[in-house]
Amino acid sequence: MAVSIDPIHQFELQPLVSLGHIGNQQLAFTQSALYMFAAVGIIALLTIVATSGRAVVPGRLQALAETLYEFIADTVHQATGADGKRFLPLVFSLFMFVLILNLLGMIPYAFAVTSHLIVTFGLALVVILTVVIYGVAKHGTHFLGVFVPSGVPKPLLLIMVPIEIVSFLSRPISLSVRLFANILAGHIALKIFAFFVVQLLVAGAWGVLSPLPLALTIALTALEFLVAALQAYVFATLTAVYLADALHPGH
Amino acid sequence: MSGGPTEPGGGPEKAPAEGDLSARLKRLETQLEGKRPKAASGEAARTGTSGGSAPLGQAMRLSTEFIAGVIAGGILGYIADHLLGTKPWGMIVLLMLGFVTGIYNVMRISGFSGNKAGKDRR
Repeated sequence: MAVSIDPIHQFELQPLVSLGHIGNQQLAFTQSALYMFAAVGIIALLTIVATSGRAVVPGRLQALAETLYEFIADTVHQATGADGKRFLPLVFSLFMFVLILNLLGMIPYAFAVTSHLIVTFGLALVVILTVVIYGVAKHGTHFLGVFVPSGVPKPLLLIMVPIEIVSFLSRPISLSVRLFANILAGHIALKIFAFFVVQLLVAGAWGVLSPLPLALTIALTALEFLVAALQAYVFATLTAVYLADALHPGH
Repeated sequence: MSGGPTEPGGGPEKAPAEGDLSARLKRLETQLEGKRPKAASGEAARTGTSGGSAPLGQAMRLSTEFIAGVIAGGILGYIADHLLGTKPWGMIVLLMLGFVTGIYNVMRISGFSGNKAGKDRR
């Protein structure tokens, strides 16, 4: 008889150290937090230690760190222009954090932190709050120009402005849901197809079919690595595009 | 690469050579900058994507942009109903608005938006 495996089980939070209770809710240091700390450690190691040599001809680690940095610097520059440089630390930190967490989640038996909506929504909130606070601080009421598309006839603005407002509010949702859904769906699909191999193997003669889901699992793993990197890139790009609105509202 | 010969000179020589190099790089970059924006800030900056993975990254965006519009409208409608007590109407109107926004988002990203002069850099 086939064992039943729960594909959702991998996303369960396991408290490692309990820190007390708030009401009925346990406050704990979970494995999710542990992975986040690990990601920060890896990023610090990669960016600080690898570049501490400052070799003119970079070694492998330094070349990796420099390539990642230049990649994001390029993205930010293209989206926000010259004065977007001040946001580079924010975008680079977000990109590295998401990228490392996605890749950590690809290690077998590891936990994918970005498969939790609250984590990605928190990151998206950081972006949107930065846009709003910086935009209002820099441009004051001019920041509201972000809701008024230019080149639109006056009567049409009656419809366009509400649409733009809802569109602006949908940004943190799309930013967070995209990342979370991609990682969650990818890990569930991987788990299910991998489990098909086991199910076929224990089903007697059907076992001859087991290489099929195995091949699919391998292909999916490659795809998931692509998605992990791509989603980090998309997150960083959109962050830069939204920040461009804070710098130049209303066009 | 005239900075090359001074490089093996040792510690004291190295710092000014590097400063010189970065100064020249900066100059080159500002020269390039004069030519770049027309090419780069057009298509690439408008769609918010660039480079080889652009089409795939864009494809990943489209579906969630639409869904996010509808969800945002729904949440706004729920909040409006809750605060104003306009039980079904806030949800109905704002969900429709969210639907329109979702389609508008998708149109803007994929470049089907009619107004080229509009702010469609997202």
